Amino acid sequence: MASLVGVFASSHAPLMARAWEAVDAARRDAISKTFSELARRVVQAKPDVLVVVSPDHWVNFFLDNLPSICIGVGETHQGPPEPWLQHLPYKSIAGHPDFALHLARTALDEGFEPSLSHHLELDHGFAIPLWKMCIDPLPPLVPIIVNTIEPPMPSLRRCLAWGDLIRAAVERYPGNLRVAILATGGASHSIGEHDMGRIDEAFDRECFEQFRSADREGLLGFFERRLDAAGNGAAEMRNWLMAHGAAQGKGFELLGYYPYPEWYVGCGFAAWDLGER
Amino acid sequence: MRDYWLSKLFFDLQAPAAADQYRADRDRVLDRYPLKPEVRLAVVQEDVTALARLVNPYLLRFYFVAIGKSEAWFLERIRKTQPAAPNEIARG
Repeated sequence: MASLVGVFASSHAPLMARAWEAVDAARRDAISKTFSELARRVVQAKPDVLVVVSPDHWVNFFLDNLPSICIGVGETHQGPPEPWLQHLPYKSIAGHPDFALHLARTALDEGFEPSLSHHLELDHGFAIPLWKMCIDPLPPLVPIIVNTIEPPMPSLRRCLAWGDLIRAAVERYPGNLRVAILATGGASHSIGEHDMGRIDEAFDRECFEQFRSADREGLLGFFERRLDAAGNGAAEMRNWLMAHGAAQGKGFELLGYYPYPEWYVGCGFAAWDLGER
Repeated sequence: MRDYWLSKLFFDLQAPAAADQYRADRDRVLDRYPLKPEVRLAVVQEDVTALARLVNPYLLRFYFVAIGKSEAWFLERIRKTQPAAPNEIARG
């Protein structure tokens, strides 16, 4: 029987790659230590497959065809196309088509209709957390792309339900498989808008507290009231909601929070304790 | 409201070769996109305020990076724009 062995979340600020040294050494060291702790926990979970939930930043999809949710079912995925990420060791990343297709079938059985792709390019949303964690070798990846970039986006409630669905798919998988989930993105940030560079630290801290202590309705209510004012990048907290749903809404632990203005993003990192039930 | 062809132009210019070609001969590339005259003018004039109303904010930022504008140049202009619709879910 398959088991869910870890649920994690990480920001993916592009300037961590493009302008790493814009932040002073002490603060870089602090965030590096958090990436190391996140990596330690992922490795300790010994996943056979890592489900990574991230946006697509106009790489695979455009206005012609813009799925709300897309599961990557390919045997391999292509690494990031961004010119400034070509030094990363991710030209090709192994997929896990068997679990990915099982997840897709489970979704359809349960009234969810994801798009499927047999060939995805995994942009910085996927690549930056993996790279900064330095997990080597990477377990096979099942990418789930959530449209958090162009309205209308999937509802917050639906994203939480997707987390439930991923958990159900793991529990129904007919084989031994250790599955971990990594949600990427957030917390507050604003890109290409009038308040670009603004970090809403109060939102971020309350958001983490809500993940830690609120029930599902309380958490959804918080996001419905506050998310839109926290910058367009905060829409990526939908991915964290999927992780939270998969963890049955319990065991949230903030591993670190770094609201570095040089990188424009309130960078947050979390793990869910699956034993705390 | 998104302008499809303007969005398509910005999307296509994410490819480094396309961006190189655009920087070398902007008008020739623009001729391939059926932009409305006022939209083409906003592109030529690098009118951030006008363009911000027509495309996704991430694509807007990509575009000005692709044509070689500095971060400071872009920030100075984008921060003069106003939120499109406060109280509405209009964020990308």
